[in-house]
Amino acid sequence: MAYKAQYYPGKTSVAQNRKKFMDPSYKLEKLRSLSDDDIVIMLGHRAPGSAYKTIHPPLKEGVEPDDPIRKLVEPTPGAAAGDRIRYSQFTDSMFYAPSVPYVRSWMAATRFRGVDPGTLSGRQIIEARERDIEKITKELMETEVFDPARSGVRGCTVHGHSLRLNENGMMFDMLQRVVLDKSGNVYAVKDQVGDPLDRKVNLGKPMSDAELKKRTTIYFIGGVPFRSDAEVVGWVQRIHNERTKCGFAPKL
Amino acid sequence: MSVKETQKRFIKAMKKKFAGEDPASTTTVYKYEGYTQSKRKVEFKKAGDAIAKKRGISAYNPMVHMGGIPLGQRQLTPYMVSGTDVVVEGDDLHFVNNAAMQQFWDEIRRTVVVGLDTAHATLEKRLGKTVTPETISNYLAVLNHAMPGAAVVQEHMCETNPGLVDDCYVKVFTGDDELADSIDKQYVLDINKAFPKDQAAQLKKAVGKSLWQAVHIPTTVVRTCDGGTTSRWSAMQIGMSFIDAYKMCAGEAAVADLAFAAKHAALVEMADILPARRARGPNEPGGLSFGFLADIVQTNRKYPDDPVKSSLEVVASGCMLYDQIWLGSYMSGGVGFTQYATAAYTDDILDDFCYYGYDYAKGKYKIGETKPTMDIVNDLGTEVTLYGIEQYEKYPTTLEDHFGGSQRATVLAAASGVTAALATGNANAGLSAWYLSMYLHKEAWGRLGFFGYDLQDQCGATNVFSCRSDEGAIDELRGPNYPNYAMNVGHQGGYAGIAGAAHFGRGDAWTASPLIKICFADKNLAFDFTEPRKEFARGAIREFMPAGERTLVIPAK
Repeated sequence: MAYKAQYYPGKTSVAQNRKKFMDPSYKLEKLRSLSDDDIVIMLGHRAPGSAYKTIHPPLKEGVEPDDPIRKLVEPTPGAAAGDRIRYSQFTDSMFYAPSVPYVRSWMAATRFRGVDPGTLSGRQIIEARERDIEKITKELMETEVFDPARSGVRGCTVHGHSLRLNENGMMFDMLQRVVLDKSGNVYAVKDQVGDPLDRKVNLGKPMSDAELKKRTTIYFIGGVPFRSDAEVVGWVQRIHNERTKCGFAPKL
Repeated sequence: MSVKETQKRFIKAMKKKFAGEDPASTTTVYKYEGYTQSKRKVEFKKAGDAIAKKRGISAYNPMVHMGGIPLGQRQLTPYMVSGTDVVVEGDDLHFVNNAAMQQFWDEIRRTVVVGLDTAHATLEKRLGKTVTPETISNYLAVLNHAMPGAAVVQEHMCETNPGLVDDCYVKVFTGDDELADSIDKQYVLDINKAFPKDQAAQLKKAVGKSLWQAVHIPTTVVRTCDGGTTSRWSAMQIGMSFIDAYKMCAGEAAVADLAFAAKHAALVEMADILPARRARGPNEPGGLSFGFLADIVQTNRKYPDDPVKSSLEVVASGCMLYDQIWLGSYMSGGVGFTQYATAAYTDDILDDFCYYGYDYAKGKYKIGETKPTMDIVNDLGTEVTLYGIEQYEKYPTTLEDHFGGSQRATVLAAASGVTAALATGNANAGLSAWYLSMYLHKEAWGRLGFFGYDLQDQCGATNVFSCRSDEGAIDELRGPNYPNYAMNVGHQGGYAGIAGAAHFGRGDAWTASPLIKICFADKNLAFDFTEPRKEFARGAIREFMPAGERTLVIPAK
């Protein structure tokens, strides 16, 4: 019988959201449209329209050593072109942001190719070839895994994921890279590392609290408390039990 | 059964930190005021400006961040040192700004325990000399003259100024009450007075009739040299004092035996040497085992009925020493380590979680007597972790206080580990609960600490109950250089607290070494090891007087 990936245990909405975010056969729901140039200026790696900087010639032009893995793995567009490696990094508020760092990394591993995810508590980074990271970032920012008020693209001074929210429901950002204006839309006014943008980017309206709690992947007491998901808690205990016993007696 | 409500010990601190705000509110008004919110940072800015003007090189300037947006746009809040009512500026808990923290480490680094039995056997059996309580007292008088750096036997020596080395002295201890009673009291660590009766009985039985010296060389010496100096300095002065006190020939071969005993055979150092890649001599923090640290901290003799407090004081001591000084400076450097470490000993958050765990375990099992099974570890580790997570969620000010995942991971795992260790009297059961807590935390919030937590906290469970070379050891014998423990802040204080908790829960007098426990039961030390957190607080508010100051020999300001 062929193995069928289950992705995640549990029947709560949080568990189900984690499962579908990780499952590449599930198409993430698109909630907003951003242009390619919007993404480029928010990332801040290159000017819109400028050429990609390269670190090696296009693979087609190079003489590659004979290597079976190279025959098996098709290069990503960025790798094929020789792009340098750049990053996008997200901060997610603990107050019901759609994504959490580990889900972002698991999602990167199941949905994208040629990526190097890194997971911390207050930020999650994906490094990839430049044109690849632009495409990945676009998908991550346009879909249900992102909320303009509770998620942020932050390259440095990411502080805010665990802080109380601003009165208007926005996640704290000492650099104030995004602002909520009177129209109720959130605009990006600075790039990842805090340099002001020449033009602001409309990220749309924040999700309502009800919408956030429906889409979130964090167990939290006002939404789905972790204690309430007995299947996931039991699964974690089982992992702990098995790792402990197998270390103690490898024959197990 | 489950304890539904606790004392919520952190509420008081939250109300002080976030003055006038509801600790349970999820929102606040950020004023983006930068460093000017902090009295201390304003002082720093003024000092930085003055330094720059005086020396012509720029110095501290918080306006350099991001081209002029100073850090501190969130609320900069003070801290209440846990277990006290003292509110301090966070900057004053950086060890560079805190003389008590420096002295805590200096006291350990300048200490060795040296047995006298081998030396006495040499004197009596090889040289035919008589050793009596009177000769021992005389020897100690000579030694307390010589140990700070004064001459005996040799003419025309350069000596140290007694005013610079007044923290240096030697005392002795033994499990033999009759012998202890007959030695001059000023030199004796009185086990019967320092410890509760049952602890004293345990310690005296362990030490027996042997006689040991607790040697504390001058703070200024170890600050100028290093921890490896302590046994050499001590052994030289011990050797000279024997020659003087027992009228020996300075060059006779037996002196070599006395020197060998003082430097090796009868020597107990506080910390082991480290391998080349982290090369440090003995008596440096990287070699100080968790069990020894739990013994150095003396809270359990002052508060024998409060094993939670004893554990918390060890956690705080470990976080300060291992995180702030060892990893934060010897191994790395700079700023962030203080922030990690202080989470475990400020604002009574870890205290609340640990007392909750203790109450839960006490209500359901027996403290110190519960069989350490995986089911027990599962129950205690899960309950305490979930309780802690729920407090962070119910009181977002605590979440904002512990704004980094590493801080929260340490606190949740330490509370889980301390609880399981207290209940079972088994430190490795505590470690097992620690690792379970890490897994639960990561899964609940989809985040843990920084990258390093993925390493040691995901693989640690596999060597909790296997004691094989380089793969496992009992927690008491693990230390900062244990495999995978050597690179990650926010853990080692917890591991030390767990080691201590196992023994505090059982009512043991010591964790790993009765000698070290007795050695630090000494009111003459500059640092009070019964109350480390209180001492750190005194350091922060500038009420702590350290040793080894140079004011006698430098120009007055």
